Amino acid sequence: MVTTVAGIVANGILLGLVYAIAALGLSLIMGVMGIINVAHSAFIMLGSFLALGLLEWAHIDPIASFFIALPIFFVVGAVVYRLIVTRVERAHQTQGLIAMFGLMVLIENLGTIAWTTDTRVITVGYSNANLTVGPLIIADAPLIAGVLAVVLILALRLFLHSTMVGRAIRAMGQNRDAALSLGINVRRLSAIMFGLGIASAGAAGVALAMIFPFAPQTQIQWLAWAFLIVVLGGLGRVESTLVSALMVGLIQTAATAFLPFDYVYLILYVALATILSVRRQGLRGVARRAI
Amino acid sequence: MIRRMDAVKLDVQKLVAGYIPGHPILHGVNLKIAPGQITVVLGPNGAGKSTALRVLAGFLAAESGSVRLDGDEIVDLPTYRHIESGIALLPQGHSVFPDLTVAENIELGGWILRGDRRRLHQAVDDVFTRYPHLRDLRNKSAGSLSGGQQRTVEIARLLVSNPRVLLIDEPSVGLSPVIASQVYRELTALKAEGRTILLVDQDIRAAIRIADYIYVLNSGKNEIEGDRAAFEGDLGALVRGWLGV
Repeated sequence: MVTTVAGIVANGILLGLVYAIAALGLSLIMGVMGIINVAHSAFIMLGSFLALGLLEWAHIDPIASFFIALPIFFVVGAVVYRLIVTRVERAHQTQGLIAMFGLMVLIENLGTIAWTTDTRVITVGYSNANLTVGPLIIADAPLIAGVLAVVLILALRLFLHSTMVGRAIRAMGQNRDAALSLGINVRRLSAIMFGLGIASAGAAGVALAMIFPFAPQTQIQWLAWAFLIVVLGGLGRVESTLVSALMVGLIQTAATAFLPFDYVYLILYVALATILSVRRQGLRGVARRAI
Repeated sequence: MIRRMDAVKLDVQKLVAGYIPGHPILHGVNLKIAPGQITVVLGPNGAGKSTALRVLAGFLAAESGSVRLDGDEIVDLPTYRHIESGIALLPQGHSVFPDLTVAENIELGGWILRGDRRRLHQAVDDVFTRYPHLRDLRNKSAGSLSGGQQRTVEIARLLVSNPRVLLIDEPSVGLSPVIASQVYRELTALKAEGRTILLVDQDIRAAIRIADYIYVLNSGKNEIEGDRAAFEGDLGALVRGWLGV
């Protein structure tokens, strides 16, 4: 029993770490810029196919693809910001939502044309290997994906809290006009923030592809998961997104251990409803939008 | 009244601006801001006072007109170029970044100095020397401070970039009379250092007390103007009656 619980905790934490990077970009973009980026999961899907493509065509391991994805998706995010988001960011939030929804549909359909609706898996040397620690057995792929997620989370937190640009981005999320009044170029920082959010989505796509099968149409599942974590954790804080994602990972792993997978969604959304009925602002308990 | 002055720091000519194109709030406003003085802009709600400040700070584009700083046209420059030109805005209401510490708030005041870390650290240190009580609060989150302390952080943050022109929008809003009077004393001290101040205020009595020159706007147009002496006399009573205070 102790071994089972330890296994659930270990695997739940690893899964939660990967979920955290899947939700982090959504949370930061929404928290800092007020943009509800429903296309977030489409970039997660693109990250998964980037890992598959690099593996099939260039024999690049997904661990390397994780780091390759970051600058590629950062540039993609900055371009999307310049071409689409700048046109809707000062408009009513609904316009931004519609624009990003359109982008999500476009990417998913282009993905279906390019890769069909077939489900893919990434198989490398460690895909079916396990790490045994005493009686505890941990699969290598989630372990590696979890470690990569920790590296990204720490790097993002370090950037946002220990650099002046990061602090300016946090300031912009708390009071855009005041940031402007200090000479901060909010448009440039918004492009950086959006780029970072999409970069974390792309990297999350690589990490998720190491663990789960994927197809263009399955991206919507990650959107639901990411929103669940953001609603639970509140907007824009790395720490609260991490805590919320770890909870989701633990609940999912525990439910999967004892129940058919179909019950996992039910349990997660009942847990979400329960938490929100007790703490209406989610786990963080703070209404303010801030990072 | 025709104003005579030897030098003009900020020269606003025929300024037309608003939030919706074709529906201006300012209809040709003219302001001449003398260097090293406190110029006050008064007017009823909707007169265009804050709109004028937002244009001068680069927050809002003008539809037409001219804004010259030391003779250089700045009306079309983006906000950060206004700051680099030496203009700083203290917005209306509290504008600290509540989740950032006092030190982080003040450091961001030197955003335009970030390329020169030594100069930035010196500027931040100078501000902490000027407001020593903030040094003790440096690691507290700004949102946890009292209203007066937050106002001090905002003014301190403004001074890190050593601006030549300070645009101050309703500095006493939300503050107790005691704290508000401290803020006005601070503005007088900043003037004594040679800084140029353009103050928009609803607290007419307090503003006139520290003003060197006063403009009154109404419906986005210049209504009357004069020096403090003129406004302390009958003209002041006339304006107060006219504004209903």
